[in-house]
Parts: sequence; C-alpha cells; structure tokens
Amino acid sequence: MLSPQTPETKPVKLSVRNMDFRYGEKKVLDGLSLDIHAERVTAIIGPSGCGKSTFLKCFNRIHEVSSAVKVSGDMQIDGVDIYRGGIDEVDLRRRVGMVFQKPNPFPKSIYENVAFGPRLFGMKDKATLDGIVEDALRKSALWDEVKDRLKESATGMSGGQQQRLCIARALAVNPEVLLMDEPCSALDPIATAKIEELIVELKENLTIVIVTHNMQQAARVSDYTAFFWLGKLIEMDLTERIFTTPRERMTEDYLTGRFG
Amino acid sequence: MPDAPDSLLEAPPCASDPAQESLVLESLPKEPAFRHSRLQRLADRWSHLLFLACGLLVVALIGGILYFLAARGVGAFMPLAGNTDKILTLKEVFLSTDWDPNSGKFGILPFIAGSLSVTGLALLIAAPAGILTGVFIAKLAPGWMKTLMRQVMDLLVGIPSVVYGIFGLMVVLPWVSGKWLSDSPAAGFAVSAAILAVMIVPTIVSLSTDAFESLPLTLEEGSQALGSTRWQAIWHVLIPAARPRLLTATVLGLGRAIGEAMAIQMVIGNNPQWIALMRQSTDQTPILRFLFTPAATLTTELVQELPNTAAGSTWNNLLFAMGLLLYLMTMLIILATRRLGRQRNA
Repeated sequence: MLSPQTPETKPVKLSVRNMDFRYGEKKVLDGLSLDIHAERVTAIIGPSGCGKSTFLKCFNRIHEVSSAVKVSGDMQIDGVDIYRGGIDEVDLRRRVGMVFQKPNPFPKSIYENVAFGPRLFGMKDKATLDGIVEDALRKSALWDEVKDRLKESATGMSGGQQQRLCIARALAVNPEVLLMDEPCSALDPIATAKIEELIVELKENLTIVIVTHNMQQAARVSDYTAFFWLGKLIEMDLTERIFTTPRERMTEDYLTGRFG
Repeated sequence: MPDAPDSLLEAPPCASDPAQESLVLESLPKEPAFRHSRLQRLADRWSHLLFLACGLLVVALIGGILYFLAARGVGAFMPLAGNTDKILTLKEVFLSTDWDPNSGKFGILPFIAGSLSVTGLALLIAAPAGILTGVFIAKLAPGWMKTLMRQVMDLLVGIPSVVYGIFGLMVVLPWVSGKWLSDSPAAGFAVSAAILAVMIVPTIVSLSTDAFESLPLTLEEGSQALGSTRWQAIWHVLIPAARPRLLTATVLGLGRAIGEAMAIQMVIGNNPQWIALMRQSTDQTPILRFLFTPAATLTTELVQELPNTAAGSTWNNLLFAMGLLLYLMTMLIILATRRLGRQRNA
C-alpha cells in the first residue's frame, strides 16, 4: 500500500473537474474534482445515497442504458474527455470494465461468459479464445475450480464464484480500468476475502476504482480513499492518511461511526 | 377438539418498566379481539370441499371429452354395437392420401398434412414477428407507446376468429388474387397461414413482452459494460436468457393455431384432394403451387362435414377419430415443448 513517505510515481489515469450529474431535475453529484492514478486502487466510501455508485457509473457511461441523465464538467481518461472527446461508449466500455453489486453472469456456460467480450470484438479463432478464457480465469483465481467444467452453466456456481467469473469476464477484453460497485456486498466473508486478495493482485497492471460500504475493506485494499457525502467530495487522500489523520472533521466522524 | 391455546394470546408483552407493564396489561381486552367463530370454521371446511369439487369437475370434463371422442372414433375401426357400416383398417386411414368417402376411400393424410402445413407456416411468420415486437415493446419503445401497444395487443387477443375469417375472405383473398395471381383464386395455405399468423401474433407478443420485462436490468448492463451495442445485448444475451419463456409463448400460439377452424375454413378452399391436385398441376413453381392450391385441414373438415354425415356411419365415426387425433396432437406438442423447455432451463 502506498504510504505518505513515498512520492506518487504513477500518472493520472482518470481526472474529474467540476463535474455535476443531474438525474432529471435532481442534482445528484455536485462540483466534483479528483484524480485517479494508474495502477492504484482508489476506494470511494460514504453513506447510502451519497452518489458514490452514480459517480462510478459515469466513468463507463453505463447509466445511459436505463435512464436519461445529464453530466456537465470534465471527465477524462488519459486526457481525452469521456463525454465530449469523440470516444464512443462502446470503445470506452472496452477500456473501462465494470463489476456490479450483484453477480450478473449470463445464463450461458462458464466458457461462453468469459468468451463473450472477445467474441463481441470479432475474435473467432478457437485456440486464441481458449487462451484468453484460461488467462482471464487464472487472473481471477477461478481456473483451478472450474477448468473441468467450463461447459457447465454459470448460474450453478456459488455467489463468490459468480462474482469472480464476472471479474474474469471483464478482464477478458483487456481493460485499462476496472470499476467495482460494492463487489462483495452479496458475498460471505470467505468469498469477500478472495475478491480482496484478487483486487490487490490485479492492480499490478490495472487501475481500480472500488465503491464500498465496508470501511475495513477500503482500508485493506486501497491506496487512495475518497469520502463522499450528499453528492459532494468531502475529502480524498492516501488511504493511510484518511484513516489515521483526516483533515476534515466530517470524515473523522463518519469513520468513527458518529454518523452514516 | 381442543381450542386454540389462548394463553399464547394473553402472554404479557415484554416491557422493561413494571409500571408500564401493568398499564399495558390493563388496556388489553379480556377476550382476544380476533377469534374465528364456529360458523367461520365450518365455512372454511366447506369452501375447501367446494374448491376440490371445482378442480375435480375440470379434470372430469377433460377426461369425459377424451372418452366421448374415443368411444365414437373407435367405431370407425371396430365393429361396435349399432355400427353396421364399413370397418376400416388403420393403414388405409392414416397412410393414405386418398379421400373420397362416397366411394369408400378414407385416407386422412391430406388433413393431417394440411393442419401441420398451415400451422407451421403461420408460426414461421408469427413467432419471429411476435418475439421481435416483444423486444421492441419491452426494450425500445418510449413509455406512451409501450402502454398503447400493450393495450392494443390485449384487445386483439379478444377478437373472435370469425371476424378474422371475414376479413380474409372479403379483403385479403380478392386482393392477393388480383395483385399477384392474375385473378385466379388465392385460397390455400398462404392466405390461411397469414390470417392465422395475424390471429396468434398478439398472444406471442404479449407473452414475450412479459418475458423480456421480467429479465433483470443487470443482464443488459453486464453486456453493455463489456462494450456490446444495444442490439448485441438483445441478440446475444436477452433473447437466449428469455428462451424458455419465448418457447412457451410460441407453444401457446401454436395451440391456438392448430385448433383454429372458422377463420381458416373461410379462406383455405376446403379441398380434401389437395395433394393430388397439387401433383397434377404443372403451371407454376412447386412452392407457389403449395401455397395457392385450395386445401383442407383436420379442423376445417370437421366443421364442414360433421353436420352432413349420419350418426353411426363410417364417415361420421372417422370425423370423431380425427377430433381425437387433433386433441392428442395438441397434447403431445405441449408436453414435448414443456420437456424441451425444462431441459434447456437446467
């Protein structure tokens, strides 16, 4: 984990400036500005309804699937604006993968779930696909458990396995960023521990942004932590500093359980 | 029979403060406020019997119809009491295309083939159209249009089939004949299947809309989060995920199609010798001959001839056997599809 003594060496991957998010007439996010560094884990914490999941979904524009929303301000990936920079959302979503709150494997075989993304982008060669599937399943620490039943339905797996399969599915298109929206909220402690281990391994060559309700989880896996409250960013800093010497009184109150 | 343990109802509520506890106890009524009277319990027992009786009645009706059809239908193949007419063999009935009751030819293959053809053609049109309309209503249409389309579909389900038949007879037949067939008659499988398809599309649309709406949004999000387009999500994830229910929708449409008589009878041409006629004529391509030769089905023959044949005659008995066949075919299709749906689900 990054400590206050060592300077940050990784470049900024995602940058947000003066960003507002409106859902209909309602302003859900208000004037956010922050930077997310490459190959680091950034945790977003805050009470329910503070807009942290909404914020996460802005990075891959997935909220556009279900509702009409309005984003103003700047959101950039590698210096290119996500909303106005000429990136189409299909290309954006290949670069910015997502793992959802509840495991959502497709009702297909384990193999087909992982091969789904590569197939979308025209990958047809069987041998290459096999390689991609194995690689993604190894990276998500699932290979040894499922290598003999790749043809079985993914819906028959346990919740923790399903969530790791969803991670493998996201990794199979080789994304640069992985967004995780409370990935462990539906899992038991053992499955949670496995996912947390995985997060730490994956940041080797991936930028990870994780929304979590669980402050211990944020402390365990993240390098940076951002605290949101009522659609505003209250404080963002190195995780170690946030949990030991936060600058804002409100952050301290939340972390010590005085509200939230 | 002992009464319900009243002590449970009278147990003191948990309260930490003793003063408050006595207050609560005093405010409780001496008798429990809610208790079934003797009459209510009796009614409960009787209503149970009533429901059971209704259920048994339905089962008895289904069994009764089956027995009635079988009892009359078997007479065509067996010398039953009061049956002095010709006795047929199974072979000359089920394996022959020659239907001419007045000269003793009773091959019903043309009717079976007719029923299967018209139903198959109708499904070929209605299933894709219905399922894609379901996708449109559930996933693409704006709110107001969604409500409107759903209501229209529900209304269409309720239109009597004879109305579709009249429309086919008065509008579609002359139009097709004038437009493409240089005024030769258009009666046959093509128009029948088209009318049938229009009849069953609303059923398929309604059920497939439900199927798509019951899928969790997370499936679509999951697909699009991997970089799929909306259309790829629908095609590769939503339709496969909804498949068992889409299959059920199609089978219900099939059930309605195979049993339909009135609408088809008005536009099919009612020609039991259609297979022979089709073989003889050479003036068009085979596919066009198939689509536009006047034909007949099990249902149209039943409607057409049941009032014209004498009870107990071979012809009349055979019509009952055809009814039985229709019944069994429908049952078989439904059972087979259920099993198929279950296998794919597992």
